[in-house]
Amino acid sequence: MTVSAIEFSRLGPPKLRLYAMRCSGCNTLNPWWEKFHCYACGGEQLTHEELAGTGELTNYTVVYYPPRDFLGQEPYVVGHITMDEGVLLPAPVVDTAPEDVAIGTRVKATLRRMKLGHEGDIYYSQKFVVDPSAQPAG
Amino acid sequence: MADILRYGAYLPKHRTPLGELQSFYGRPGRPRARTLATPGLDEDTFTMAYEAATEALAGARAPAALISVTMSAPFGLRKMSATLARALGLAEDTVAYDLGGHPGSLMDALALAAALATGDRPVAVVASDHLVSYEERVCDTLSAGGAAAFVIGASGGFATLGPASRASSEVYDVWRLGTEPEPRYRLEVLFDAYASAAKGALAGLEKLTERPASAYASVAPSQPHPQTLRSLGKLGVSSEQLASTSFVGEIGNLGAASVGVAMAIALDAAEPGQQVLAFGYGAGEGIAQALEVTAAPPAIGAVGRIAGESIPLGTYYRWTRGRQAEPH
Amino acid sequence: MRVGVLGIGKTPHKIQHHKSLRDLIVDAGRLAITDAGVSPSDIQMLYVGNVGSVGFNYENSTGLMAAHHLGVVPAGAVRVEAACGTGAWALHLGVVAIASGLYDRVMVVGAEKMNDLATVEGTSVIAQAADSKEEYFSGLTFPSGVALTARKYMQTYGLTEEDLAHTSVKNHHYGARNPYAHLRFECTVEEVMRSAKVADPLKLYEVCPMTDAGSALVLCREEILRDQPEKPQVYITATSMASGTWYAATDTLEDAHRLFAEPAQKAYAMAGISAGDIDVAEIYNSFAIQEPLGIEGLGFAEPGKGWEGAADGSTWMDGKVAINLSGGLLCKGHPLGATGSSQAVDIIEQLRGTAPEGIQRKDAEIGISACRGGPGAVGAIHIYQRLEG
Repeated sequence: MTVSAIEFSRLGPPKLRLYAMRCSGCNTLNPWWEKFHCYACGGEQLTHEELAGTGELTNYTVVYYPPRDFLGQEPYVVGHITMDEGVLLPAPVVDTAPEDVAIGTRVKATLRRMKLGHEGDIYYSQKFVVDPSAQPAG
Repeated sequence: MADILRYGAYLPKHRTPLGELQSFYGRPGRPRARTLATPGLDEDTFTMAYEAATEALAGARAPAALISVTMSAPFGLRKMSATLARALGLAEDTVAYDLGGHPGSLMDALALAAALATGDRPVAVVASDHLVSYEERVCDTLSAGGAAAFVIGASGGFATLGPASRASSEVYDVWRLGTEPEPRYRLEVLFDAYASAAKGALAGLEKLTERPASAYASVAPSQPHPQTLRSLGKLGVSSEQLASTSFVGEIGNLGAASVGVAMAIALDAAEPGQQVLAFGYGAGEGIAQALEVTAAPPAIGAVGRIAGESIPLGTYYRWTRGRQAEPH
Repeated sequence: MRVGVLGIGKTPHKIQHHKSLRDLIVDAGRLAITDAGVSPSDIQMLYVGNVGSVGFNYENSTGLMAAHHLGVVPAGAVRVEAACGTGAWALHLGVVAIASGLYDRVMVVGAEKMNDLATVEGTSVIAQAADSKEEYFSGLTFPSGVALTARKYMQTYGLTEEDLAHTSVKNHHYGARNPYAHLRFECTVEEVMRSAKVADPLKLYEVCPMTDAGSALVLCREEILRDQPEKPQVYITATSMASGTWYAATDTLEDAHRLFAEPAQKAYAMAGISAGDIDVAEIYNSFAIQEPLGIEGLGFAEPGKGWEGAADGSTWMDGKVAINLSGGLLCKGHPLGATGSSQAVDIIEQLRGTAPEGIQRKDAEIGISACRGGPGAVGAIHIYQRLEG
């Protein structure tokens, strides 16, 4: 899945930080892609909220047949991570053997290369590493 | 004078067994490093810089500036420091500086940071590298990847950036022409030039501080090759002073990050009242600086990160296709 | 509502390097036109279901291309796209066109040519049927996105991978007997468990192959078919569509259930029947877990129990309701835009009594096709009935 330079400039900057979208109407924290309406109440007032970067693996799979951008990294873990703030995000969990993760594993966010655009730009985004010491803040 | 407030270091977890790599390429002789710290397929000098800087900046005051040092930025014609500042969530008024050129540039960056760090806000310095090397050449160049970061403040740190001395000569030990992707190496020139620069810089530092190299608790040097460290021994540096800070024989040449990772290891073990000698080398220039430890360092356990996890040779080749390079 | 099925046609489902997309469209379309006993000029509207012609085949205006090559010009023609539910959506539009009274005869064609690209490229094209821009940045593919659902299902109901493997066993039993299927071999639970991992916990025998296929239907007003009593009197008596969650991250098991349950209830009411009246069903199962979820959504089993019929025989040919006697998508493959239309053709064959020997349910009178699309974004239900007299 290629990304053009223009698309990169549009999507790139926000991806350097991990954030979610807070609905002003019902206070639900939506995944970062919900910029048009709140998944819970349909409200249209959503604002960026940065996340602390720690969470728990609540589901995962191990990919053996990757898309082109991930060739060479297989097998790799893709998890559904419930962030400590309550929002669920999909992301790869890297630097770990697939057999070393389980539902309930604590993870923390880091920045890695995600893919290359066909115009040669590099897309950095959030991946997660296992970190048993990554406890919720506060 | 300025202080080191905090620091961080990052080494990728993968270790390529250099002996097997040498056998694969049919290179003779004993491997000069046991393994090479090999960045993963989704890592590069930017992501490694991010990791080291994140560790250094944890709990630190927002820096007024960020200086990024690398010889192998993943993208050209753009400021890696600016993108790094955004990735770190630094304030919009954070000034971003890119510094590159040679493996000792971290020492230049520390000097600049000391000059910039006035008032309340510190300056962050991040050095990261993953040198280019092709196929069997990596057995000579020991190309590996890593990063180190330091937060420099006007005062209030655990160690002071003391006097520094420089010595340089025009040599061609490691260089690259224009847009050539791979550096050129003359290892025998490197060994001589390193020794000569170290001699000059250490002598100059001794003159400034009235303290010989042997008097430091530890020495944290740039280490492009194990043989370069032997020349320090001839200048009065003992093996005990290099015992923990010498890692090139274990994980390879970290380029611009080499002296920074050595400093992190040295600072971890330092006690108040001790001095650490940092020596950065590149392209014929040696920069020696005294670090005066005044309080217990916020240790990060850097030496524990030297050991990683071995990867099969097939994985190394699948990732690099024989071009140990930034980017893969 | 009764929309007559005047003619049906389909191509084999397999890798067909010698066939282009337009070949598949014309092959299926002409079979349907011949079966209907009409000529292309009798077709008043053409609905072409195709998902990935831009990615797979580097061509875009599939509907217009099909109109030309099928000879239906100057009838209107349009390409329909709704992810994996495309063929069912094309069928829905054809049904609505007839039911509205605006047209007498329309044609629905679903076609997909997936194997002009290597698997890794094709996987990336398929990913565009989900959120390739944002969610799939995380390295998800369609199989791995569904694998997350499978793990959630197993965890929620305390099931094992062996429990779910029975679905593949049943589908492969019938796929082996279907000459139009892409995969034609039987397997055991042990063989399913030993097959290569694709996206944990899904294994190779629980994942559909990428295939090339076309299928077509000619639909007409009820009176037109009634006036031809020598033709099989099979009618579409309900069509009900729904949308659901677009992101796998927010797709719960309840959402998966609702995706079929709500349109199914409307469809049953439209047709004047209940779930218990269904004899045969083609349920979308590009990945094995989707069959139990579909069985539950259609009301054939309670939540968490949808897998049991494959193990105890109640969803086999002679069971209470026969599910996926074609071998399902697990064996036919999933030709994205043609799956929904292919399901319809297979059910109609069952009701006509013309399905291949070995997969023909005896005396099937009422059938249902249930198609889904995207991570959980399209639900499409059609009910078919053989109505004599």
